[in-house]
Amino acid sequence: MTELTLKINGEDVTADVETRLSLADFIRDHRRLTGTHLGCEHGVCGACTVLMNGEPVRSCITFAVVADGTEITTIEGFEDDDPMTLLRQAFHENHALQCGYCTPGMLVAARDIVTRLPDADEDRVRLELAGNLCRCTGYVGIVNAILSVIEKRRL
Amino acid sequence: MADGGTTEGKGIGARVLRKEDWRHLAGKAKFTGDFQRPGQKEMAFVRSEVAHARIVSVTKPAGFESSVFTAKDMPDMQPMRAPSKMPGYKGADYPALAIGKVRFVGEPVAVCIADTRAEAEDLAQATLVEFGELPAVVDMLAAKAGDAPLIHEDWGDNLVMETFADDDFGKIADRATVVVKREYRMARHAMNPMEGRAVFAEWDDRTDQLMMWTSTQVPHLIRTGLAQFLGLEQRQVRVIAPDVGGGFGCKALLQPEEVIAGWLTRHLEVPVRWIEDRREHLVTGANCREHHYFVTIHATPEGRILGLDCDVTIDAGAYSVYPFTNGLEGAMAHGNLPGPYDIEVYRCRTQTMTTNKPPLMPYRGVARPGVCYAMEMTIDALARDIGVEAHDIRTMSMVKQEQLPFMSIAKKHFDSGDYAKSVEMVVDMIGLDKIRSEQISANGEGRLVGVGMGSFVEQTAHGTSVFASWGVAMVPGYEQATVRLTPDGGLELRIGVQSHGQGMETSMAQMAYEVLGIDPSQVTVTHGDTGLTPYSTGTYASRSMVMAGGATARACRVLAERMEIIAAHLLQCERAEVTVRGGKIVSGKGEVSFAEIGRVWYLNPDELPDDVDQGGIEVTMGYRPEPDSGAFTYASHACKVAVDIDTGEVEVLDYAIVEDCGTMVNPMIVEGQTYGGATQGIGTALLEESTYDSFGNPGASTFADYMMPGATDAPHYRIDHMESPSPFTEYGIKGMGEGGTIPTPAAIGNAINDALKTIGAEVTETPFTPRRVRAAIAAANKNRQGDAA
Amino acid sequence: MKSAKFDHQRAASLDDALKALGNADGEARIMGGGQSLGPMMNLRLAQPDLLIDISRVGGLDGIEVSGDVIRVGARVTHARVEDGEVPGVTGAYMQTVASGISYRSVRNRGTIGGSVAHADPSADWPSALLALGGDVVIAGQDGERRMPLDDFQVGPFATGLGFEEILTGFELPALSDSAKCGYYKVNRKPGEFADAIGAVVIGVSPRVVCGATEAAPFRVSVAEEKLAAGATEISVADARDMIAVHEPGFDDYDLQIHAVALSRAVGRAFA
Repeated sequence: MTELTLKINGEDVTADVETRLSLADFIRDHRRLTGTHLGCEHGVCGACTVLMNGEPVRSCITFAVVADGTEITTIEGFEDDDPMTLLRQAFHENHALQCGYCTPGMLVAARDIVTRLPDADEDRVRLELAGNLCRCTGYVGIVNAILSVIEKRRL
Repeated sequence: MADGGTTEGKGIGARVLRKEDWRHLAGKAKFTGDFQRPGQKEMAFVRSEVAHARIVSVTKPAGFESSVFTAKDMPDMQPMRAPSKMPGYKGADYPALAIGKVRFVGEPVAVCIADTRAEAEDLAQATLVEFGELPAVVDMLAAKAGDAPLIHEDWGDNLVMETFADDDFGKIADRATVVVKREYRMARHAMNPMEGRAVFAEWDDRTDQLMMWTSTQVPHLIRTGLAQFLGLEQRQVRVIAPDVGGGFGCKALLQPEEVIAGWLTRHLEVPVRWIEDRREHLVTGANCREHHYFVTIHATPEGRILGLDCDVTIDAGAYSVYPFTNGLEGAMAHGNLPGPYDIEVYRCRTQTMTTNKPPLMPYRGVARPGVCYAMEMTIDALARDIGVEAHDIRTMSMVKQEQLPFMSIAKKHFDSGDYAKSVEMVVDMIGLDKIRSEQISANGEGRLVGVGMGSFVEQTAHGTSVFASWGVAMVPGYEQATVRLTPDGGLELRIGVQSHGQGMETSMAQMAYEVLGIDPSQVTVTHGDTGLTPYSTGTYASRSMVMAGGATARACRVLAERMEIIAAHLLQCERAEVTVRGGKIVSGKGEVSFAEIGRVWYLNPDELPDDVDQGGIEVTMGYRPEPDSGAFTYASHACKVAVDIDTGEVEVLDYAIVEDCGTMVNPMIVEGQTYGGATQGIGTALLEESTYDSFGNPGASTFADYMMPGATDAPHYRIDHMESPSPFTEYGIKGMGEGGTIPTPAAIGNAINDALKTIGAEVTETPFTPRRVRAAIAAANKNRQGDAA
Repeated sequence: MKSAKFDHQRAASLDDALKALGNADGEARIMGGGQSLGPMMNLRLAQPDLLIDISRVGGLDGIEVSGDVIRVGARVTHARVEDGEVPGVTGAYMQTVASGISYRSVRNRGTIGGSVAHADPSADWPSALLALGGDVVIAGQDGERRMPLDDFQVGPFATGLGFEEILTGFELPALSDSAKCGYYKVNRKPGEFADAIGAVVIGVSPRVVCGATEAAPFRVSVAEEKLAAGATEISVADARDMIAVHEPGFDDYDLQIHAVALSRAVGRAFA
């Protein structure tokens, strides 16, 4: 067991965890923040994407002990976040989700795209989304939603 | 009589945004893996590492014997049995934990429980299984050999089932002077919902019930199956499907892990949880699509198709699955191969073979992506042979609008539509003429451009008569819906089907709006709970909107009548003077709100009229279309691809869809389902493959080996709709959840072969990987050199 | 799919990490970003007894130019390279390579040193850096040593790194403005591991690398000679012949895509 101190969604957290515990399982099972999903546990599907110190990372292949001292933001932690508010509305309006399982990771990745690449066009958005799998939508609504937020943020 | 109220555009045909979105967007949805109880145990499986073997021994880790269970420890757990009355069908019982023998890599041999999943996996890793290896049957064609090893010794062969149709080709011989023959393969793959399977089970002592939350499309069937194989009465089992992260068919069946979880929680009296990981899914869930075809089309010199002759082989894997069996795929292939075409003679033999691979399960489209691919690819081969455009062959040979309703040669009762028009529209959309001129001006070096299409007609929401003829363990009957007005005038709608991405919490509310005019925001749709909803065989076969939607409309109409009786009394007018409209009961003398009706029925019954319906303001109605042989959705897809001749890579440049699913309840959802389906079809066509070596070891057990379609693989789809209501269903609705997947492999394969036609190469095996495309080019080059010599 | 048990040690300094490595019983692994090791441990394909976490060791994440050498610390993430932190022509080349590695959320954690030390033949950096040339900087109990990239990787997942050594960074050539670079990867999807890699750097002398093979990436000497003699393109057919000399084991398809990658990398260098 190893002691772990970090900030999750603005809250200071200290915990004693098994070294092999993934950050995703820590978030889900220990902190009961179940919006972060596990889709592959080997870093390909993107369902587990969270922000670590403001940057998207895979929480499934990051051990919790490695997150010591960091600030983590999960899908539950974006309440007053402008880009996320826009993205949520755009996802809703563009039918960018069906089963919803990939959605939290997709939104965290999308937030990175709209903030880091304000000039991204459709091809670039698709390329940046390559690390987030969705089995339901065919990506149509997701791409449209992200493009619409990029457009909105330009105004 | 209720006439609902569509003035605000929230009923049938409206693009109502989904009610279920917000919990997902907020990260507050509740999937099975999100359940947790104090003291719960996590399950992990010891799975077979060999494809075919006798289990010689299982050695449990010392000190942990009571945390590891084999079939021997669970004598009262019955193997899953899925009967079928299809002639000659041989179904193999599927033991939840292997008994004596294993028949595919990944088959559960033992289950381990511990406080954490990691610890349970430690136990699984430490459990030693000694296998007495047997020769494996990996390929379905090899399974037919007389000296092939037997997977089920008592069968005498490896044949699950055969179907036959045999017409006399003599009667078209003088007209059908063109004969085109091809061989095709479609690879096995895995369905890969983003949420794998998952189950959480606990015994509720208060109700004396097994409570099971499971990621399923068919909670009621799971209950029936669990009770049967665990030796419980069905009233002792309650199954709840919470949020379900996609299904696509693999969650429409009872799974070994569900049965085992039920047994464990019942006998150990602790809650148990199992969450399938992706490797488990890719290994044990490699269970769909694997077909082989020899197809021969007989046509006139102009390309009118007159005859179809086909030998189909289906790889059904090791066991039969409950309740659908592993024989449905053959029956479906047989019945759907001729597609929308009006042909005179049909010979077809399907052979379903057992192999040492996971049991075949019905994946979105069930058999039809395979048959559509075989048929439509052969049509394009015919077009290339006789030098005409393939779409002309299609329009010339399809069942005509004026022939409908029409009994097809494979005994499918087509209802409505204009199949040829969908072809003409999609040819126009993709810009065939422009692509043809592009092809002429291109120099043939580097990237070659091609265009291809695929058309299908799909039986959806087929009911009692169809399933009864297959004689499987479940036959859908009258689908039921329950509506209940709450005391404050809201509506509770309970359906036995299950929504796992289809947006039924919205579209079913639209149905209620259509009849009652009640705003969808005031409707709570409850689904996926055997304790709360009417019995249903669940969500599969593109049936939910037709069946549960139809039942909802009917229940709402009866509710409206009952409310009108009360309202007429409150307004002191004749029954004929009142009508439900816009979420109220209106008459010339005034109006009564639904809340008022709720108040009177529940809280002030002294104000009720004498002739009130004593059933109250809660109604259950059943619905089944007549005839129940299915509503037939159809579509034509066309695409433009570029083939990199040097690498064999294929890029989809453009993709056009024209679809007709009858009356659309929510066009936004229709389009979403279609795009998603087509993208799975792109996976089938270009990416997805569960590979095996000659010993039956899976080669694609992670997403590094198994390619899933991503955002760069999916094209920017363009879609257009036709809307031919079915004459046989409520509001003319047809099912449409599966259709998007069906013609995609055909359309892409045809486009690739169109691109390659100048070099005489053809691809004939999915996925059309760069390696296969290069092999086709190399083979064509070799042929040409052979010809030159 | 959860990792087997392991001990975890956070190293505060390089010395700390080296000491831990020296004292370890059983298999010890150095973890930087953990983006290669994490999946392998979840899959239990790697089950180290001890994980030495160097993610906080100072001094390993610098990027500095001194003369004609660029020092890149082992813990520099792919994302930082993608974002252009490595300067000049060398940086531009590395930027192209970095932006094609896996996905942004992996690039944010994954490190250049981790990738090269892991030595997966289908990863990008082993091939890309071999084309660049320069040295690997290695710390051991007896201090620091340098090893040419040419000698570093000896096979799939096998390098010249000793059991008690840690890769601390790279000394890469700062290419002149006239240098030409081309990188081409054949893979099934963006972010997936490569099926074939062609990497070409024409600095002082041409370096041409064929990567993503079953073995270590290798330099294609005939191609280098041809470019040194002034060629500005190499056809796929020629590339096939050149590669076949080094890799007689390739089947037709593998030979083809490696030849295409090489040919197109040359094309990009001269584009």
